[in-house]
Amino acid sequence: MNRYLSILATFARACLVRDMTFRANFLLECVTSLGWMSMNLAFYLLIFTFTSEIGKNTGWSKEPFFAFVATGLIINSIVQALFMPSAEELTEMVRTGGLDAVLVQPLDAQFMLSMHRVDFSSFANGLVGVGLLGWAVSRMDYQPSPVAWLLYPLLILCGVAILYSLIIMLAAATILLGRNQSLYDFWFYLTNFSRYPAEIYSGPWGGPIRMLCTFVIPILLVVNVPARVIAMPLSGEAWGLVAAALIAATASLLISRLVFQAALAKYRSASS
Amino acid sequence: MHNSNRGGPVDPDGAAVISVDSLAKEYRVYDKPEGLLASVTGLFHRTSRLVEALRGVNLSVGKGEFVALLGPNGAGKTTFLKLLSGIITPSRGTAHVLGHVPWERDDDFRRRFALVMGQRNQLWWDLPAAESFRLHKEIYRIDSARFERTRDELVDLLDVRRLMLQPVRELSLGERMKLELVAALLHEPEVLFLDEPTIGLDVVAQHTIHNFLKTVQAERRVTVVLTTHYMKDVAALCERVVVITHGSILHDGPLEEIVDRFTTHKIVTLDLDATPAPGQMERFGFPCEIRGPRVTLRIDRTRIADVLPEILRSESVRDFSVEDVPLEEIVAELFRAAPVPSVSHASVVEATA
Repeated sequence: MNRYLSILATFARACLVRDMTFRANFLLECVTSLGWMSMNLAFYLLIFTFTSEIGKNTGWSKEPFFAFVATGLIINSIVQALFMPSAEELTEMVRTGGLDAVLVQPLDAQFMLSMHRVDFSSFANGLVGVGLLGWAVSRMDYQPSPVAWLLYPLLILCGVAILYSLIIMLAAATILLGRNQSLYDFWFYLTNFSRYPAEIYSGPWGGPIRMLCTFVIPILLVVNVPARVIAMPLSGEAWGLVAAALIAATASLLISRLVFQAALAKYRSASS
Repeated sequence: MHNSNRGGPVDPDGAAVISVDSLAKEYRVYDKPEGLLASVTGLFHRTSRLVEALRGVNLSVGKGEFVALLGPNGAGKTTFLKLLSGIITPSRGTAHVLGHVPWERDDDFRRRFALVMGQRNQLWWDLPAAESFRLHKEIYRIDSARFERTRDELVDLLDVRRLMLQPVRELSLGERMKLELVAALLHEPEVLFLDEPTIGLDVVAQHTIHNFLKTVQAERRVTVVLTTHYMKDVAALCERVVVITHGSILHDGPLEEIVDRFTTHKIVTLDLDATPAPGQMERFGFPCEIRGPRVTLRIDRTRIADVLPEILRSESVRDFSVEDVPLEEIVAELFRAAPVPSVSHASVVEATA
């Protein structure tokens, strides 16, 4: 474990050195990322000039909803910083045979392929997310209990684990197909569903989507569960969701691990 | 010429470091027809072929051997190296490297060998090689004292110390390859697989790498398997040559044996006093080239002992040399003459899922 942490630190250090080598690019990435996030926040503020709550009697009024958005920003920034750059590079590695060099090293290939690049500029959004969470929680009528604050980071990790598992499954598809340039697009489409409170998925169309995105691809548990724990009282239903998030995270990690191993066994490599 | 897949020479230590038994690898490749209509049709029905990259190869390599794998493009050399290093899994057969089945990818095994591919960059592109070396240290769990000692030895041998702190993308191909070799040897592997390590390099860089590999192999008794298209690599480095064509081993033995087995002629170059008359030299052998008083003859090996004294007796010879046919020519002829395997590239039509 220490060795893996040490290797991760070496990756992070190298990526930071590289980012600092191309400083203008790094700053531009930070600005672009923060700009996109600011536009989203402005859009949500605009929505709240027309309504006081997202969905009738859902509890997602302005401040709780911004706690929800902040939770999403924190989770997404962790995923975007730690895992997404490596996953995006995987397609090229499979196509050109660069994956060969990874497979001959005495290191877990999944670890190497999912964490060898760290995008520090993505942490900028996460930092804003933490600030936004503080602002939203301080203005809420309901104040989270100490138990909720303890559960919150754990559930953030569950959300990260679910998204990471999805990335690994898509990476496995890349290895099997030899080329999968739509990986990032597909991930973006899927995670779009997680950006809104689960309560909006109701009715004849919303109901099935909610079931699918909770029990089949548990994307709705990613942000909803930690956000609910921090923004609303811990009810019986909330405890059920906490258990569901823990189970979904564990199951996702196990399944994605199996799928990835199976894909690696079928790796064909590229011609030299 | 025989077509055997026999094992190699007996290992001097009595145990094979690499042993391969009936190893085969097949790929299914899909044909991509030309044209828009054919491409659209290809979404529903595709034609595939089974390509046998390697056909039941047997091989045994002892500790400290330096073996060259020769073969034309597409012969199966790189596939063989990828199987031995565990990158891909075989369709049939078994292999053991250092007592491990390579494609099981045990960490214990992967810590004991290295693979260098001349056409692929394994160092971090935007960073100095020193950063990649540091990562290597962590991955291979090399203690600091040993790491520094080995790194210093290797960079001094290749004279690349000054390049370690320069971003890899700013280095020339030869400089990059030298640093790739340093990275590959930092963990002191017992087996080294080299896939065309001198491709695209100038003669000076090639020579430096030859000397480096010879020193490393001799001092550390590393077992080396090298694929190359350069006969200079083979002549400079390898005692044993394995020729692969169409996925099968065509020849396995010392380099000299190739010359003995596959050449029937010697090349005799004569410097005469004057330009010979037309037809004057043909009675001795086939005149490959006549340029003024310099004549190059191709003479049957079995006749050379009789013909050479006769030339010296009957012609005014100022100087002469007797050489084997250049290795490149022998190998090229060998590849051309290799028997094409019977039909197993059967085409089968399949529907896509």
